[in-house]
Parts: sequence; structure tokens; C-alpha cells
Amino acid sequence: MDLNQLRKVAAEVVSRDDVKYLIGWRRGTFGYRVAPYFVEDAAGVDELIFSPLCISNLATYLTLVEKLPVPRGQEPDKRKVALLVKGCDSRAVAQLLVEKGVKREEIVVVGLPCPGMIDRDLLAEKYPETDKAAELRWNGEDFLLVGEGEDIVIPRAEVLAEKCRLCRHPNPVLSDITVGEPVKPWAAADDSGVAEIEAKGAAERWDYWEEQFSKCVRCYSCKSACPLCYCEDCILDRLDPIWVNRAVNFSENTAFHLARAFHLAGRCVECGECERVCPAGIPLGKLNRKLAQTVREEYGFEPGLDPEAEPFQASYKPDDPEEFIL
Amino acid sequence: MSEQFKPNIVAFLCNWCTYAGADLAGTSRIQYPANVKIIRVMCSGRVNPLYVVNALQQGADGVLISGCHPGDCHYMEGNFYARRRLKLLKELLEFTGVDPRRFNMSWVSASEGHKWKEVVEKAVEDAIAAGPFDQFRRRQIGW
Repeated sequence: MDLNQLRKVAAEVVSRDDVKYLIGWRRGTFGYRVAPYFVEDAAGVDELIFSPLCISNLATYLTLVEKLPVPRGQEPDKRKVALLVKGCDSRAVAQLLVEKGVKREEIVVVGLPCPGMIDRDLLAEKYPETDKAAELRWNGEDFLLVGEGEDIVIPRAEVLAEKCRLCRHPNPVLSDITVGEPVKPWAAADDSGVAEIEAKGAAERWDYWEEQFSKCVRCYSCKSACPLCYCEDCILDRLDPIWVNRAVNFSENTAFHLARAFHLAGRCVECGECERVCPAGIPLGKLNRKLAQTVREEYGFEPGLDPEAEPFQASYKPDDPEEFIL
Repeated sequence: MSEQFKPNIVAFLCNWCTYAGADLAGTSRIQYPANVKIIRVMCSGRVNPLYVVNALQQGADGVLISGCHPGDCHYMEGNFYARRRLKLLKELLEFTGVDPRRFNMSWVSASEGHKWKEVVEKAVEDAIAAGPFDQFRRRQIGW
């Protein structure tokens, strides 16, 4: 990835009159960490980076932004928001377009073909003393850690994030401008963790999820980080009717997680944000992937590939499977 | 257990077909188990999957959802949506370890009193086989 090319394109985009800001990544405040970055003018583009740690999904910010009421007599700001997207992020954008969560004319999508991201927890675990290193880069198939003495080559298999191991769409599915050459999709691993759980008996599965859901502290990070959890009036915030009690116990936690997973059924683009931000380490991705797999295999539908598609749960086919119905 | 386990089954029935079907079963004096607690909804498409989760939380041992046959929906397409949605819910519940026998769905038309009887018998049989479902029950908050 040529950063200069990215910065040049970004500078052109933010200089446009009809663009409010560009959402990208820059170096965080410590070591190799990466933080989201809102670029408002061309002078700011020099800080933009794209490294194997740019794992966060910036599409979340499209719907997270607060829409204040426009004072009387003033025109609403109709300028576009530009954002950098990887393959998975672009699917989230496409799904947002399907649901009319954002409009196409409101955004400028800068696509970045993604060779795979690093799971920072795995990196910290395997290379604990490299925290302060300045930079991480792609090095062919593998990753290269620069700074603090000698450069270290980190084998891809060791630190590749789970979602990237399972990734089927590393290239952006939609973009106005693409920076860099498309990458060749790699053979996605099969071990999504779904089959492993399905192989267990019902009681064992219940025990497994009981252990997982009991860890939940109901911080709702998964909901906040998810690019597709953006209802203004969320059932979890409502007090009347109260769908899921706020008590933090196993029963309510399970109801919450079932509701959360269900609301993403046929919509989840498997960007892995929920699982990444979960402070309790609950494997939320497995729930999402299970439903995504059902939708893919039984209905032949994959969300976030076609911005013109019909939303899965708001459409039907007369010959949908119904072997479970008496 | 000296007494046989009597499951609680919550049934969400569509107003136009299955509720009328259950009514027909009643007026025709068809005998069927009394374990179902019927909740009438206007369409099987009205059944929010969270109703099912909530029923299980509040002590139901099984849930039965029944509506019109595909193509017969009073609202043209409500049961088609229900079919998609509840299929996913069934898969999700199964994946989290809820016994799949606790969740049943059927199409029963207004003239199928006998089918309603069979469906209820099957649901009750399934719920008995699956046993009482206490693990998921909502905890009463007491101070």
C-alpha cells in the first residue's frame, strides 16, 4: 500500500467543496496503535495511514454522528462524508444503502483493497515486548514490525484476525475511488467455529453459551460498534414496552444476545467489530456467523454485496424452506 | 415424579386461520390437550421473535406459532415473512442450546380443526419429551 498515493487521493477528496470531512485512520497515542481520524482539510492528510492494524470499521461513524436540529432560517449541511473502507467495511456501507440508513449521494467511498488485518490481542500475546514499536507494515504475505531495533517479520498465520481468516471479500464491493491494486482473495478458512458448536449436544451448547453470556456486563459496546445497529429508537433503550430487562443476569443477558443476533440476521456483514470490542470476550461472531451461514446456505443470500438488493427479512420467496413447519 | 409433567405451551395464533381453526375444533367437540395457552394475534407475521424469547423467559416450556397456509394470508404475504423470520429464530435458539422441540410452527387453516388437534398433540408430546425449561426463566428481582 502506497501511503503517498492514499494521501494524495484523500487530499483531493477533502479539498472538494461538497465534502465535509474524510474518515480514516491515523497513529494512536501509544506504540503501533491506530485511532480513527476525521480529516477536515487537505493539511491534515499527512497523518493518514493504512496499516495492518486499521481493523476498525469506519462505516459505524456514518450513522453514529449526531444529527442536531437545524436552527430556523439556516440551511442544513448537505456536504458529503468521505470514508476509507476495506472489503468488509464496504459491505457494511452497501448494507446501509440497502436499508436506506445512508443515502448514496451523502457519501464518498474511498476503497482500499485489504490484504488482511492483525488481531492486536494476538499480537500483544505473541510479541509482548513490541508494544512500543512504531509501525506495522505488510511484507508480502506476512507482516513487518518496524522500530525498536531490528525489524521483526511476523508470520501471517500467527496474528491474522479471525474475521480476515474467514474473509471472502477482501476487495471493496463498492467504491467511488479505489486506491491501490486489488488483492487476490485468499482461500477462506472453514473453521468459523459454528460447526464446532453445532457438533455438541443441546445441553452442552446451552452450557457453553451460559458460560459465555454470564460474562456479559451489558455495556452495549457490541451494539455501539456495530455499523448496522443504528436504530434511533432501539428496543434496548425503550422502557415501555420493556423488551429486555436491564438486570444483568443470565436470563436477561441471553435474551439480549438473542435479540442482538437476531436483529442482525440477514444483515450482518461479518466485520467482526462486536467481538473485537467486547470487553468480556464473548464470541459474538459465532452467533452472527451461524445466522449468516443459514441465510447463505438455505436462502442463497449474502448481505452487503449489492446495494440494490432487497433487505433479507423484508422480502420473501414463495418457495422459501419450510420443512420445519408442521 | 409421581405426577406427569404438564408443560406450559404458549401458542400464537393468527386471527384469520388458526384461531378460527381452534375455534372449530372447540365447536366440533374435538378433544385435545389443555396445555396450550392461546394468544391471538392478527397475523403470524405479527409475531415478533422476541415474543418467543419472552415467553420462554416467563416460564413457557414450549412455543407454538400457527398461521394461514402460504398464499392464504389475509394480509397477502404476512405468513411468508413469518416463515423466514421464525426459521432464523429456530436456528438461533437451536444454536444456543434450546431444545428444538420447544419451538413448533404450523399452518392450520380455519377448516382444519383436526389438524389443530394433531398439532397441539405433537407440540405437547415434544414439550414433555424436552422436559421442564427452568434454566432460562426470568429471575424475580427481590430486595
